[in-house]
Amino acid sequence: MDETHQPPADPEPTGRRQFLATALRLGGGVFVILCGGPASAGDGREPYDWTHHRWAFLVDTTKCIGCGSCVRACKAENGVADGVFRTWIERYVCSPEASHVDSPNGGLDGFPPIQTAFAPTKSFFVPKLCNHCKETPCVQVCPVGASYRTKDGVVLVDGKTCVGCGYCVQACPYGSRFLDPATHTADKCTWCYHRITKGLRTACVGACPTGARQLGDMRNEEDPVRLAIEKSRVAVLQPHLLTEPQTYYLGLDKEVK
Amino acid sequence: MEHGRHVFRVLFLLLLAVVVVVIARPFVVPRSYGLYGPYRFDSVAEVAARAPVHGGAASCGACHAERSAALAKGSHRTVSCEVCHAPLAQHVQDGSLVAAMRVDRSFALCLRCHARVEGRPEAFPQVIAAQHAPDATAGAACLECHDPHSPKP
Repeated sequence: MDETHQPPADPEPTGRRQFLATALRLGGGVFVILCGGPASAGDGREPYDWTHHRWAFLVDTTKCIGCGSCVRACKAENGVADGVFRTWIERYVCSPEASHVDSPNGGLDGFPPIQTAFAPTKSFFVPKLCNHCKETPCVQVCPVGASYRTKDGVVLVDGKTCVGCGYCVQACPYGSRFLDPATHTADKCTWCYHRITKGLRTACVGACPTGARQLGDMRNEEDPVRLAIEKSRVAVLQPHLLTEPQTYYLGLDKEVK
Repeated sequence: MEHGRHVFRVLFLLLLAVVVVVIARPFVVPRSYGLYGPYRFDSVAEVAARAPVHGGAASCGACHAERSAALAKGSHRTVSCEVCHAPLAQHVQDGSLVAAMRVDRSFALCLRCHARVEGRPEAFPQVIAAQHAPDATAGAACLECHDPHSPKP
Protein backbone atom coordinates (compact mmCIF):
# COMPACT_ATOMS: atom_id res chain seq x y z
CA MET A 1 0.00 0.00 0.00
CA ASP A 2 1.20 3.44 -0.86
CA GLU A 3 1.26 5.44 2.35
CA THR A 4 1.66 8.72 0.48
CA HIS A 5 -1.49 8.10 -1.52
CA GLN A 6 -3.18 11.38 -2.39
CA PRO A 7 -6.91 11.61 -1.79
CA PRO A 8 -8.77 12.16 -5.09
CA ALA A 9 -9.77 15.70 -5.95
CA ASP A 10 -13.36 15.13 -4.89
CA PRO A 11 -15.47 18.30 -4.63
CA GLU A 12 -17.55 16.62 -1.87
CA PRO A 13 -15.32 15.12 0.80
CA THR A 14 -16.50 11.63 1.64
CA GLY A 15 -17.39 11.17 5.28
CA ARG A 16 -16.70 7.94 7.08
CA ARG A 17 -20.40 7.15 7.40
CA GLN A 18 -21.01 7.74 3.72
CA PHE A 19 -17.96 5.72 2.75
CA LEU A 20 -19.08 2.79 4.85
CA ALA A 21 -22.60 2.90 3.37
CA THR A 22 -21.20 2.94 -0.18
CA ALA A 23 -18.76 0.16 0.63
CA LEU A 24 -21.54 -1.98 2.08
CA ARG A 25 -23.72 -1.42 -0.95
CA LEU A 26 -20.91 -2.24 -3.37
CA GLY A 27 -19.86 -5.21 -1.27
CA GLY A 28 -23.43 -6.48 -1.26
CA GLY A 29 -23.60 -6.16 -5.03
CA VAL A 30 -20.36 -8.05 -5.47
CA PHE A 31 -21.66 -10.73 -3.07
CA VAL A 32 -24.85 -11.16 -5.10
CA ILE A 33 -22.85 -11.48 -8.31
CA LEU A 34 -20.60 -14.07 -6.68
CA CYS A 35 -23.67 -16.02 -5.58
CA GLY A 36 -24.84 -16.26 -9.15
CA GLY A 37 -26.85 -13.09 -9.52
CA PRO A 38 -30.62 -12.64 -9.71
CA ALA A 39 -32.70 -13.95 -12.59
CA SER A 40 -32.31 -11.84 -15.67
CA ALA A 41 -35.32 -9.62 -16.31
CA GLY A 42 -35.76 -11.13 -19.76
CA ASP A 43 -37.10 -14.39 -18.34
CA GLY A 44 -39.95 -12.64 -16.54
CA ARG A 45 -41.61 -11.72 -19.83
CA GLU A 46 -42.23 -15.32 -20.76
CA PRO A 47 -45.92 -16.14 -20.23
CA TYR A 48 -45.15 -19.73 -19.28
CA ASP A 49 -44.82 -20.04 -15.49
CA TRP A 50 -43.26 -23.30 -14.43
CA THR A 51 -44.72 -23.07 -10.93
CA HIS A 52 -48.22 -23.45 -12.42
CA HIS A 53 -47.52 -26.83 -13.99
CA ARG A 54 -46.28 -30.23 -13.00
CA TRP A 55 -46.21 -32.62 -15.89
CA ALA A 56 -46.93 -36.33 -15.78
CA PHE A 57 -47.24 -38.92 -18.53
CA LEU A 58 -49.76 -41.72 -18.87
CA VAL A 59 -49.27 -44.70 -21.17
CA ASP A 60 -52.22 -47.02 -21.76
CA THR A 61 -50.49 -50.17 -22.98
CA THR A 62 -53.83 -51.79 -23.83
CA LYS A 63 -54.34 -49.17 -26.56
CA CYS A 64 -50.91 -49.30 -28.18
CA ILE A 65 -50.96 -50.89 -31.66
CA GLY A 66 -47.20 -50.73 -32.19
CA CYS A 67 -47.38 -48.58 -35.32
CA GLY A 68 -44.29 -46.58 -34.35
CA SER A 69 -45.86 -43.20 -35.16
CA CYS A 70 -44.65 -41.83 -31.83
CA VAL A 71 -41.09 -42.95 -32.51
CA ARG A 72 -41.08 -41.34 -35.96
CA ALA A 73 -42.68 -38.15 -34.68
CA CYS A 74 -40.13 -37.93 -31.85
CA LYS A 75 -37.24 -38.43 -34.26
CA ALA A 76 -38.53 -35.70 -36.57
CA GLU A 77 -39.44 -33.30 -33.77
CA ASN A 78 -36.19 -33.59 -31.87
CA GLY A 79 -33.75 -34.51 -34.62
CA VAL A 80 -32.81 -37.73 -32.86
CA ALA A 81 -29.99 -39.56 -34.62
CA ASP A 82 -30.27 -43.02 -36.13
CA GLY A 83 -29.79 -45.88 -33.71
CA VAL A 84 -30.65 -43.89 -30.56
CA PHE A 85 -34.10 -43.18 -29.21
CA ARG A 86 -35.83 -40.73 -26.91
CA THR A 87 -38.87 -42.97 -27.07
CA TRP A 88 -39.26 -46.49 -28.38
CA ILE A 89 -41.74 -49.36 -28.39
CA GLU A 90 -41.14 -52.83 -27.02
CA ARG A 91 -43.15 -55.89 -27.98
CA TYR A 92 -43.72 -58.63 -25.42
CA VAL A 93 -44.80 -62.07 -26.60
CA CYS A 94 -45.41 -64.24 -23.57
CA SER A 95 -46.59 -67.58 -22.32
CA PRO A 96 -46.65 -68.69 -18.67
CA GLU A 97 -43.29 -70.44 -19.23
CA ALA A 98 -41.43 -68.13 -21.56
CA SER A 99 -41.39 -64.63 -22.96
CA HIS A 100 -39.79 -62.87 -25.87
CA VAL A 101 -39.15 -59.15 -26.15
CA ASP A 102 -38.22 -57.32 -29.32
CA SER A 103 -37.96 -53.74 -30.48
CA PRO A 104 -36.69 -53.69 -34.08
CA ASN A 105 -35.08 -50.28 -34.56
CA GLY A 106 -37.11 -49.05 -31.60
CA GLY A 107 -40.33 -49.77 -33.47
CA LEU A 108 -39.53 -46.95 -35.88
CA ASP A 109 -40.97 -48.83 -38.87
CA GLY A 110 -43.58 -50.78 -36.95
CA PHE A 111 -43.28 -54.45 -36.13
CA PRO A 112 -43.06 -57.51 -38.42
CA PRO A 113 -44.91 -60.75 -37.71
CA ILE A 114 -42.89 -62.91 -35.36
CA GLN A 115 -42.39 -66.62 -34.77
CA THR A 116 -41.48 -67.75 -31.28
CA ALA A 117 -40.13 -71.11 -30.13
CA PHE A 118 -43.02 -71.35 -27.68
CA ALA A 119 -46.78 -71.03 -28.12
CA PRO A 120 -47.59 -67.48 -26.97
CA THR A 121 -50.68 -66.92 -24.84
CA LYS A 122 -50.52 -63.13 -24.81
CA SER A 123 -48.68 -60.36 -26.60
CA PHE A 124 -48.69 -56.61 -26.29
CA PHE A 125 -46.75 -53.43 -26.97
CA VAL A 126 -45.22 -51.15 -24.35
CA PRO A 127 -44.10 -47.65 -25.34
CA LYS A 128 -41.11 -46.50 -23.35
CA LEU A 129 -39.69 -43.06 -22.70
CA CYS A 130 -37.96 -41.16 -19.92
CA ASN A 131 -39.86 -41.59 -16.67
CA HIS A 132 -38.91 -38.11 -15.46
CA CYS A 133 -38.38 -39.53 -11.98
CA LYS A 134 -38.78 -37.42 -8.88
CA GLU A 135 -35.77 -39.14 -7.34
CA THR A 136 -33.49 -39.07 -10.34
CA PRO A 137 -30.47 -41.37 -10.30
CA CYS A 138 -29.26 -39.73 -13.51
CA VAL A 139 -29.21 -36.21 -12.08
CA GLN A 140 -27.51 -37.33 -8.90
CA VAL A 141 -24.50 -38.82 -10.68
CA CYS A 142 -23.82 -35.89 -13.01
CA PRO A 143 -20.41 -34.49 -12.00
CA VAL A 144 -20.84 -31.13 -13.76
CA GLY A 145 -24.44 -30.16 -12.99
CA ALA A 146 -25.58 -30.66 -16.58
CA SER A 147 -28.68 -32.66 -15.60
CA TYR A 148 -31.51 -31.31 -13.55
CA ARG A 149 -35.22 -31.58 -12.83
CA THR A 150 -37.23 -28.43 -13.50
CA LYS A 151 -39.85 -27.02 -11.13
CA ASP A 152 -42.56 -28.33 -13.47
CA GLY A 153 -41.21 -31.87 -13.20
CA VAL A 154 -39.19 -32.39 -16.36
CA VAL A 155 -35.69 -33.87 -16.32
CA LEU A 156 -33.51 -31.99 -18.79
CA VAL A 157 -29.91 -31.97 -19.97
CA ASP A 158 -27.83 -28.82 -20.37
CA GLY A 159 -26.01 -29.72 -23.56
CA LYS A 160 -23.54 -26.85 -23.20
CA THR A 161 -22.38 -28.00 -19.77
CA CYS A 162 -22.44 -31.76 -20.39
CA VAL A 163 -18.98 -33.27 -20.84
CA GLY A 164 -20.30 -36.56 -22.19
CA CYS A 165 -18.90 -38.79 -19.46
CA GLY A 166 -21.91 -41.07 -19.74
CA TYR A 167 -22.42 -41.60 -16.00
CA CYS A 168 -26.10 -40.68 -16.34
CA VAL A 169 -26.53 -43.12 -19.21
CA GLN A 170 -25.35 -45.89 -16.93
CA ALA A 171 -27.25 -44.61 -13.91
CA CYS A 172 -30.66 -44.61 -15.59
CA PRO A 173 -32.28 -47.97 -14.79
CA TYR A 174 -34.72 -47.53 -17.69
CA GLY A 175 -32.20 -47.01 -20.49
CA SER A 176 -33.78 -43.67 -21.31
CA ARG A 177 -30.55 -41.79 -21.90
CA PHE A 178 -27.94 -41.99 -24.62
CA LEU A 179 -24.91 -40.11 -25.84
CA ASP A 180 -25.74 -38.16 -28.97
CA PRO A 181 -23.43 -39.48 -31.71
CA ALA A 182 -23.00 -35.96 -33.15
CA THR A 183 -22.49 -33.81 -30.06
CA HIS A 184 -21.13 -36.56 -27.78
CA THR A 185 -23.30 -35.18 -24.97
CA ALA A 186 -26.08 -36.88 -23.06
CA ASP A 187 -29.55 -36.62 -24.55
CA LYS A 188 -32.97 -37.85 -23.57
CA CYS A 189 -36.71 -37.30 -23.77
CA THR A 190 -37.65 -33.77 -22.69
CA TRP A 191 -41.42 -34.36 -22.87
CA CYS A 192 -41.01 -31.93 -25.78
CA TYR A 193 -40.30 -29.11 -23.35
CA HIS A 194 -40.12 -26.69 -26.28
CA ARG A 195 -43.71 -27.64 -27.15
CA ILE A 196 -45.43 -28.01 -23.78
CA THR A 197 -44.12 -24.62 -22.67
CA LYS A 198 -45.86 -23.16 -25.74
CA GLY A 199 -49.17 -24.89 -25.01
CA LEU A 200 -48.66 -27.70 -27.54
CA ARG A 201 -48.81 -31.45 -26.92
CA THR A 202 -45.67 -33.54 -27.13
CA ALA A 203 -44.90 -34.83 -30.63
CA CYS A 204 -45.48 -38.46 -29.58
CA VAL A 205 -48.84 -37.71 -27.95
CA GLY A 206 -49.93 -35.76 -31.02
CA ALA A 207 -48.91 -38.63 -33.29
CA CYS A 208 -50.50 -41.49 -31.35
CA PRO A 209 -53.58 -42.60 -33.32
CA THR A 210 -55.17 -44.55 -30.45
CA GLY A 211 -54.63 -42.25 -27.47
CA ALA A 212 -52.24 -44.69 -25.83
CA ARG A 213 -49.97 -41.79 -24.84
CA GLN A 214 -51.10 -38.75 -22.90
CA LEU A 215 -49.30 -35.92 -21.17
CA GLY A 216 -51.08 -34.31 -18.28
CA ASP A 217 -50.68 -31.54 -15.76
CA MET A 218 -50.88 -32.60 -12.12
CA ARG A 219 -51.54 -29.00 -11.07
CA ASN A 220 -54.79 -28.97 -13.05
CA GLU A 221 -57.55 -30.68 -11.05
CA GLU A 222 -59.63 -31.33 -14.18
CA ASP A 223 -56.80 -32.87 -16.16
CA PRO A 224 -57.77 -36.32 -17.50
CA VAL A 225 -54.29 -37.69 -16.85
CA ARG A 226 -54.34 -36.48 -13.26
CA LEU A 227 -57.81 -38.00 -12.79
CA ALA A 228 -56.64 -41.28 -14.31
CA ILE A 229 -53.60 -41.40 -12.03
CA GLU A 230 -55.78 -40.53 -9.03
CA LYS A 231 -58.65 -42.92 -9.74
CA SER A 232 -57.31 -45.75 -11.89
CA ARG A 233 -54.92 -48.55 -11.02
CA VAL A 234 -51.72 -47.25 -12.48
CA ALA A 235 -48.26 -48.77 -12.24
CA VAL A 236 -44.75 -47.48 -12.75
CA LEU A 237 -41.68 -49.24 -14.07
CA GLN A 238 -39.36 -50.79 -11.47
CA PRO A 239 -41.04 -49.26 -8.40
CA HIS A 240 -38.61 -51.14 -6.11
CA LEU A 241 -35.87 -48.71 -7.16
CA LEU A 242 -37.78 -45.86 -5.44
CA THR A 243 -37.09 -43.46 -8.28
CA GLU A 244 -40.72 -42.26 -8.20
CA PRO A 245 -41.28 -42.27 -11.97
CA GLN A 246 -43.74 -39.73 -13.32
CA THR A 247 -44.55 -41.82 -16.37
CA TYR A 248 -47.48 -43.97 -15.32
CA TYR A 249 -48.74 -47.08 -17.05
CA LEU A 250 -52.19 -48.63 -17.40
CA GLY A 251 -52.33 -52.36 -18.05
CA LEU A 252 -48.68 -53.00 -17.24
CA ASP A 253 -47.69 -56.68 -17.25
CA LYS A 254 -45.30 -58.33 -14.79
CA GLU A 255 -42.92 -59.11 -17.65
CA VAL A 256 -42.29 -55.42 -18.28
CA LYS A 257 -39.27 -54.01 -16.49
CA MET B 1 9.19 -16.26 16.71
CA GLU B 2 10.51 -18.98 14.41
CA HIS B 3 7.34 -21.13 14.58
CA GLY B 4 5.03 -18.17 14.20
CA ARG B 5 6.34 -17.59 10.71
CA HIS B 6 5.27 -21.08 9.59
CA VAL B 7 1.73 -20.45 10.79
CA PHE B 8 1.73 -17.10 9.03
CA ARG B 9 2.83 -18.71 5.75
CA VAL B 10 0.04 -21.29 5.88
CA LEU B 11 -2.52 -18.62 6.71
CA PHE B 12 -1.22 -16.44 3.90
CA LEU B 13 -1.53 -19.31 1.39
CA LEU B 14 -5.06 -20.02 2.59
CA LEU B 15 -5.98 -16.37 2.23
CA LEU B 16 -4.44 -16.35 -1.25
CA ALA B 17 -6.52 -19.39 -2.22
CA VAL B 18 -9.69 -17.71 -0.97
CA VAL B 19 -8.89 -14.55 -2.92
CA VAL B 20 -8.18 -16.52 -6.10
CA VAL B 21 -11.48 -18.40 -5.73
CA VAL B 22 -13.43 -15.20 -5.09
CA ILE B 23 -11.89 -13.47 -8.11
CA ALA B 24 -12.06 -16.45 -10.48
CA ARG B 25 -15.56 -17.71 -9.57
CA PRO B 26 -17.60 -15.21 -11.59
CA PHE B 27 -15.53 -16.01 -14.68
CA VAL B 28 -15.73 -19.77 -14.27
CA VAL B 29 -19.28 -20.33 -12.98
CA PRO B 30 -22.08 -19.44 -15.42
CA ARG B 31 -24.15 -16.48 -14.33
CA SER B 32 -27.46 -18.31 -13.90
CA TYR B 33 -25.91 -21.28 -12.11
CA GLY B 34 -27.50 -22.15 -8.76
CA LEU B 35 -30.61 -19.99 -8.99
CA TYR B 36 -32.99 -22.94 -8.64
CA GLY B 37 -30.55 -25.74 -7.98
CA PRO B 38 -27.12 -26.97 -8.97
CA TYR B 39 -27.55 -26.31 -12.67
CA ARG B 40 -27.39 -23.47 -15.20
CA PHE B 41 -30.88 -21.94 -15.16
CA ASP B 42 -30.46 -20.37 -18.61
CA SER B 43 -30.40 -23.83 -20.12
CA VAL B 44 -34.12 -24.25 -19.28
CA ALA B 45 -34.94 -21.33 -21.57
CA GLU B 46 -32.53 -22.69 -24.18
CA VAL B 47 -34.30 -26.06 -24.24
CA ALA B 48 -37.72 -24.38 -24.35
CA ALA B 49 -36.72 -21.98 -27.13
CA ARG B 50 -36.43 -24.60 -29.87
CA ALA B 51 -39.02 -24.20 -32.66
CA PRO B 52 -41.68 -26.92 -32.88
CA VAL B 53 -41.52 -29.13 -35.96
CA HIS B 54 -45.01 -30.60 -35.76
CA GLY B 55 -47.87 -28.10 -35.99
CA GLY B 56 -50.81 -30.20 -34.87
CA ALA B 57 -54.28 -30.48 -36.36
CA ALA B 58 -55.15 -26.81 -35.87
CA SER B 59 -52.21 -25.62 -37.97
CA CYS B 60 -53.19 -27.93 -40.85
CA GLY B 61 -56.77 -26.68 -40.63
CA ALA B 62 -55.62 -23.09 -40.93
CA CYS B 63 -55.04 -23.62 -44.66
CA HIS B 64 -56.85 -26.89 -45.36
CA ALA B 65 -60.07 -26.33 -43.41
CA GLU B 66 -62.18 -28.49 -45.72
CA ARG B 67 -59.89 -31.50 -45.52
CA SER B 68 -59.51 -31.03 -41.81
CA ALA B 69 -63.28 -31.03 -41.34
CA ALA B 70 -63.65 -34.08 -43.57
CA LEU B 71 -61.02 -35.96 -41.62
CA ALA B 72 -62.68 -35.01 -38.32
CA LYS B 73 -65.89 -36.73 -39.48
CA GLY B 74 -64.18 -39.86 -40.80
CA SER B 75 -63.08 -43.04 -39.10
CA HIS B 76 -59.46 -41.89 -39.20
CA ARG B 77 -60.24 -38.77 -37.13
CA THR B 78 -57.85 -39.82 -34.35
CA VAL B 79 -54.95 -40.02 -36.81
CA SER B 80 -53.11 -36.71 -37.03
CA CYS B 81 -52.45 -35.41 -40.56
CA GLU B 82 -48.73 -35.35 -39.85
CA VAL B 83 -48.62 -39.08 -39.09
CA CYS B 84 -49.31 -40.16 -42.70
CA HIS B 85 -48.05 -37.01 -44.42
CA ALA B 86 -45.06 -35.28 -42.79
CA PRO B 87 -44.29 -32.83 -40.00
CA LEU B 88 -45.50 -29.30 -40.73
CA ALA B 89 -41.99 -27.84 -40.77
CA GLN B 90 -41.17 -29.90 -43.89
CA HIS B 91 -44.10 -28.22 -45.66
CA VAL B 92 -44.46 -24.69 -44.27
CA GLN B 93 -42.10 -22.57 -42.20
CA ASP B 94 -42.87 -19.07 -40.93
CA GLY B 95 -45.99 -18.96 -43.07
CA SER B 96 -44.23 -19.67 -46.37
CA LEU B 97 -44.15 -22.86 -48.39
CA VAL B 98 -40.98 -24.91 -48.06
CA ALA B 99 -41.93 -27.98 -50.09
CA ALA B 100 -45.01 -29.85 -51.26
CA MET B 101 -46.48 -32.07 -48.57
CA ARG B 102 -45.55 -35.71 -48.77
CA VAL B 103 -48.34 -37.96 -49.97
CA ASP B 104 -47.45 -41.57 -49.26
CA ARG B 105 -49.90 -43.96 -50.94
CA SER B 106 -47.82 -47.03 -50.26
CA PHE B 107 -48.94 -50.38 -48.95
CA ALA B 108 -46.30 -50.13 -46.25
CA LEU B 109 -47.82 -47.00 -44.75
CA CYS B 110 -51.20 -48.66 -44.22
CA LEU B 111 -49.69 -51.91 -43.02
CA ARG B 112 -47.63 -50.22 -40.33
CA CYS B 113 -50.88 -49.93 -38.38
CA HIS B 114 -53.11 -52.52 -40.00
CA ALA B 115 -50.93 -55.57 -40.68
CA ARG B 116 -51.80 -58.46 -38.42
CA VAL B 117 -48.82 -58.90 -36.11
CA GLU B 118 -48.42 -60.30 -32.63
CA GLY B 119 -48.95 -57.64 -29.99
CA ARG B 120 -51.83 -55.72 -31.55
CA PRO B 121 -55.06 -55.58 -29.57
CA GLU B 122 -57.54 -58.06 -31.09
CA ALA B 123 -60.25 -55.43 -31.55
CA PHE B 124 -58.04 -53.25 -33.73
CA PRO B 125 -58.77 -53.68 -37.47
CA GLN B 126 -55.88 -55.59 -39.01
CA VAL B 127 -55.35 -57.77 -42.04
CA ILE B 128 -52.94 -60.36 -43.34
CA ALA B 129 -52.06 -58.63 -46.58
CA ALA B 130 -51.45 -61.83 -48.53
CA GLN B 131 -54.96 -63.06 -47.73
CA HIS B 132 -56.77 -59.72 -47.77
CA ALA B 133 -55.51 -58.67 -51.18
CA PRO B 134 -53.54 -61.59 -52.62
CA ASP B 135 -53.12 -60.00 -56.05
CA ALA B 136 -51.78 -56.68 -54.83
CA THR B 137 -48.80 -56.63 -52.54
CA ALA B 138 -47.33 -53.24 -53.37
CA GLY B 139 -48.11 -49.79 -54.65
CA ALA B 140 -51.32 -47.92 -53.90
CA ALA B 141 -53.47 -51.05 -53.73
CA CYS B 142 -55.16 -50.17 -50.41
CA LEU B 143 -56.41 -46.85 -51.74
CA GLU B 144 -58.20 -48.50 -54.69
CA CYS B 145 -60.84 -49.69 -52.23
CA HIS B 146 -60.32 -47.57 -49.10
CA ASP B 147 -60.49 -43.81 -48.61
CA PRO B 148 -57.37 -43.05 -46.54
CA HIS B 149 -59.12 -40.20 -44.71
CA SER B 150 -62.14 -42.27 -43.74
CA PRO B 151 -61.63 -45.96 -44.55
CA LYS B 152 -64.55 -48.35 -44.18
CA PRO B 153 -63.84 -51.89 -43.11
